[in-house]
Amino acid sequence: MLSSTFALAALRWTSRRLHYSSHMQLFANALIAGSLAALIAGGLALVYGVLGVFNLALGQLALTGGYVTWWLHQVLDLPLFPSVIGGLITGALMTWLTFEVFVNPFYKHHRFLPLVTTIAWSMILDGLILLVFEERPRSILPGLKKTFEIFGAHISVEQCVLIALTLIALVVFAYVFHCTPFGRKLRAVVQHDTAALSLGINAPALHRFIFILSGIFAGAGGIFIGIDQNLSPTLAFSLTIKAYAAIIAGGKGNIWGAIICAYLIATLEQLLVGIHWFGVFYVPAGYQQTVALLFIIIFLLCRPSGIFAARARAA
Amino acid sequence: MAFVWHLVILIGTWLPGALTYTMIFGKGKILHFGPLGVSLMTSYATFLTLGATGSYPIAVLTGLGSAIAISAVFAWLSLRLEPDGFGIMSIAVHLSVLSVVLNWSSLTRGALGIPRLPRAPFPASQEGFALVMVVMCIVWVLGMWLLDRSSFGRKIAALAEHEWHSAALGVSRARVHFLAFMVGALGALFGTLPYHHYIGLLHPNDYQFPGLIFFVMLVVAGKPGSVFGVTISTILLVLLKELLRFVPLPPDILGPVRLILFGVILFAAVWYRRDTLFPKQRTV
Repeated sequence: MLSSTFALAALRWTSRRLHYSSHMQLFANALIAGSLAALIAGGLALVYGVLGVFNLALGQLALTGGYVTWWLHQVLDLPLFPSVIGGLITGALMTWLTFEVFVNPFYKHHRFLPLVTTIAWSMILDGLILLVFEERPRSILPGLKKTFEIFGAHISVEQCVLIALTLIALVVFAYVFHCTPFGRKLRAVVQHDTAALSLGINAPALHRFIFILSGIFAGAGGIFIGIDQNLSPTLAFSLTIKAYAAIIAGGKGNIWGAIICAYLIATLEQLLVGIHWFGVFYVPAGYQQTVALLFIIIFLLCRPSGIFAARARAA
Repeated sequence: MAFVWHLVILIGTWLPGALTYTMIFGKGKILHFGPLGVSLMTSYATFLTLGATGSYPIAVLTGLGSAIAISAVFAWLSLRLEPDGFGIMSIAVHLSVLSVVLNWSSLTRGALGIPRLPRAPFPASQEGFALVMVVMCIVWVLGMWLLDRSSFGRKIAALAEHEWHSAALGVSRARVHFLAFMVGALGALFGTLPYHHYIGLLHPNDYQFPGLIFFVMLVVAGKPGSVFGVTISTILLVLLKELLRFVPLPPDILGPVRLILFGVILFAAVWYRRDTLFPKQRTV
């Protein structure tokens, strides 16, 4: 009798521990996916805040950074750090090209034109990625990764480094954006670029800079994917959609709102497919991508200004 | 000769959707990216009902009902949202419907699609089918041309140019948008059903994002809002798409080359029409 009670208690303890461990794993996964989405959405929110244009080639630009890093590291056998720098520089150059050819000549005609031109550019980039890097999955660091346990969640060293680097990048960006004269100029352009221009700020150069910065963040996102998982051309569009979901939910042009919502969407994605709902059913993993789409639909319908809508300053 | 009939049929399946899309996106300047979502709903509703009931009239009515329902939702959203918000929303709705189709395998067979669709009740031969498509397209082009020249065409153009002034002159935005999307629903029905009857397969891959880009390209290349321009661009671009199959390249190269080529065509068309695609408001 005593032994069966003890066995039952042990079983309950193990079950609770497993339950706790699986939930912690979900949150760890959300943190990893959220960091990736935050990198891409943060830069994009800045672009939307300044130019008010949608760049639908963003996912492909992110993948370009990742694929170039893979090529430098795996094909040319360069060490990881220079390869990553090469990937980031490529991301920046490709985004600069995007701005000069597919955005700048059009958005002054009409701000919706880049929506169509960047769709065309995304097709061209998709084709080029397929031609150059082929369809099969590519990993920047292939092979089994060493994992360790934190609060019941298994996480690899690379993932920890990626999360830490993302947070450092965001903190540095926050410092530059809020505490430096350059950041003050950036914020002035975000708030009212014409007024900033009359005050002597070179707004067109900052437009270009902000666009390229979004490409560097996107390239970093692509490298993140290549290190943590596998790069595949099919990922591009879902990256773009997730970034836009974060921007719309976070309040258009609100960088911190977009970053918080990127983490929120990633958490909900993990919870949706990872939880045994009402102890009755699991949601199929295929629906995970739908969370971002539902975010877009719900927020555009119920709160088009987003959760953290920025208030316009008035005199 | 069979290949010529095949091309005629394919052009016929693209044309109704392209012409109604040019009415909405080209003439109305409504940033609608969900025409494939409407076709997706229509085709699945029709063929799932056909499989369940075996009755073709009921299946077509169900398909029409679905097309009208989702088009009404799009029309309502276009009235409620900012233009760019509606553009993103229409993509999100399309992809959400696609996601349900792909994941609800017990009903839709997911990524496998629905094979062995029955041929249309008439006609049985490929030539007959092509001739029916030609007649349907002629009727459709004339119908769209008349609609374009009607008071509805003038109203949708006026709304695209200046919404408030048009409203002040008595144009009802809600009515015009609703009618435009209903025409879009008919275009989806008349385009998508013959296509699936012809190939005998309903597959979700036909409704992925590249298909939508092809629609946008047909409208932009053919001159937005122009019935005859879009008819010609549909003929030429569908021919180009099909003839590219004969380029002696391996499939893993031909696919990306086709993507690049169509991307360049779309970009060149937007470049050429950058002043007319979303024109600036006229001033006195």
